[in-house]
Amino acid sequence: MTTPQVPDPATLAPSEEYDLYFGPNHPGIEGNYSVRVRLKGDVICQAVADGGYLHRGFEKIMEDRLWVQNIALVPRICVPDPVPMEESYARAVEMIGGLEVPLRAQWIRVLMLELSRICAHLFTFGGNAATIGLYTNMFWGVTMRDLFLDIFEEITGARIYHIYITPGGVRRDLPEGVLERIEALLVELEERMPQFEDLFFNNAVVIDRATGTGRMSAEEALAWGVTGPNLRATGVASDVRRDDPYLVYPQVDFDIVTETGGDALARMMVRKGEVVQAVKIVRQAIAALRKVGGPVRCELPNPLAWDLPAGDAYARTESSKGELGFYIVSNGGPRPYRVHVRGASSMHAVQVLEKLLVGSRIEDVAQIMFSLDACPPEVDR
Amino acid sequence: MSIPARLNEVLNELPAIQARPAGARRVRVDVAPQGLPALLELLKGRLGFIHLSAISCVDWIEDGQFELVYHVWSHEMKLLVSCHVRIAREPGVYVSVHDIHEPAGFFERDIHEMFGVHFDGAPSMEKFILTSWEGPPPMRKDFNTRKHVEETFEWVDYRPDWLKDIERKGGGIES
Repeated sequence: MTTPQVPDPATLAPSEEYDLYFGPNHPGIEGNYSVRVRLKGDVICQAVADGGYLHRGFEKIMEDRLWVQNIALVPRICVPDPVPMEESYARAVEMIGGLEVPLRAQWIRVLMLELSRICAHLFTFGGNAATIGLYTNMFWGVTMRDLFLDIFEEITGARIYHIYITPGGVRRDLPEGVLERIEALLVELEERMPQFEDLFFNNAVVIDRATGTGRMSAEEALAWGVTGPNLRATGVASDVRRDDPYLVYPQVDFDIVTETGGDALARMMVRKGEVVQAVKIVRQAIAALRKVGGPVRCELPNPLAWDLPAGDAYARTESSKGELGFYIVSNGGPRPYRVHVRGASSMHAVQVLEKLLVGSRIEDVAQIMFSLDACPPEVDR
Repeated sequence: MSIPARLNEVLNELPAIQARPAGARRVRVDVAPQGLPALLELLKGRLGFIHLSAISCVDWIEDGQFELVYHVWSHEMKLLVSCHVRIAREPGVYVSVHDIHEPAGFFERDIHEMFGVHFDGAPSMEKFILTSWEGPPPMRKDFNTRKHVEETFEWVDYRPDWLKDIERKGGGIES
């Protein structure tokens, strides 16, 4: 978090370059974040990412809370896609404690993770469209997402911070009839997708503005530590769900969506494809949940007097923004000794963003940031 | 899970390395501080561990040490190797591996800010999140959040009527 310095112009050497603070109070910035750009005309010569506007100290707070209390904290790290946070924390605890998640709970978690992915991508469709002046798409994306939030509310009691995935399973079983309501909503989403196509993905303005914007090659993406849809948009078929699988993902049939453009358009096309794949996965989860019964949580000790064995674990999850990691250390006590959150946006909200902005024009700053789906709260933590 | 033979071959080329499986697709390697850069170079060059997923820092204050954990992933081997090194807590200086893995710059800067570890050769050790913070690195175990709050802020008694009602019935938030 930087306080803008305003020097006396009379003291400055003559220059054709000038600095502009893009955010934190700017409708085109994603989250409470800022990028300081140095411009020559309207072309960016240097970009410096500036975080710290949303630091909440989660990692420190978690060291002072019981294992079970932290369930209420973790979804708050990333508002647009909170479920992978719950999953990663719970799985790291399970790895340390040797807990076996019942099969039904695993399918429920997959269902929740993919519904969250759909929500996050719909949000990004809308946000990305707004950065190039297409506000209708934004309203549609947010509206459609809201219908999915209704489902989350029904299952968990909360629209965003579900606090639903717990070490050992999930908090409670699904309410009666919710699977049918999810199926109906998926049909509604599929009916809406051609309209998104017409309004956004096939829109000449979008294609013109996004083609070649913020482009990176596969080699650059790999060297820069890019993951998730942004990496897949450069042609690299990498996905934690397939490469380092968890839960019942090895039993799930889905395609890894890739594009080769490596630009803003390719990144959005990957996300569009991933919505289609997520719908496919949700339907498989629904089919499985109609057959698989049993408990939704393994037996746990009294959560208020629960000492986890000493050890450490690194759990990775494929969130809508890329690879999310939780490294947790236990010293055998009732609280984590250390929790380190590797936000999925760690790379593409800071170092990668700074690189891609150089040479771009000022009007593309917001589009590049949204096309990367940067989530600053994951960086600030 | 056992350690893959190809990985064992590489690890055997370096002195003072201890490795053990740590669950599905996970291997833990403990290495002396001076051996880590060579280890990361070998893993990257020979076995395709090109993805630095994260660098984590743990403050083992009672041992007077920081533990740095470098999580590297191989897209070829589908394996995560977590390389653990321990450095002296004072002066808390280590070497940057930014020249091997570019993402290290972000994590080293973060660790410097939160734990005070200095990484020689890092592209930036400037503050990123806590720009206006003048206190000690807050993720250190000897930084006491509650003490800081009590010294910095004034407590305000918040006991609205509805809470007093609950307390009269035997409930409430005070233990």
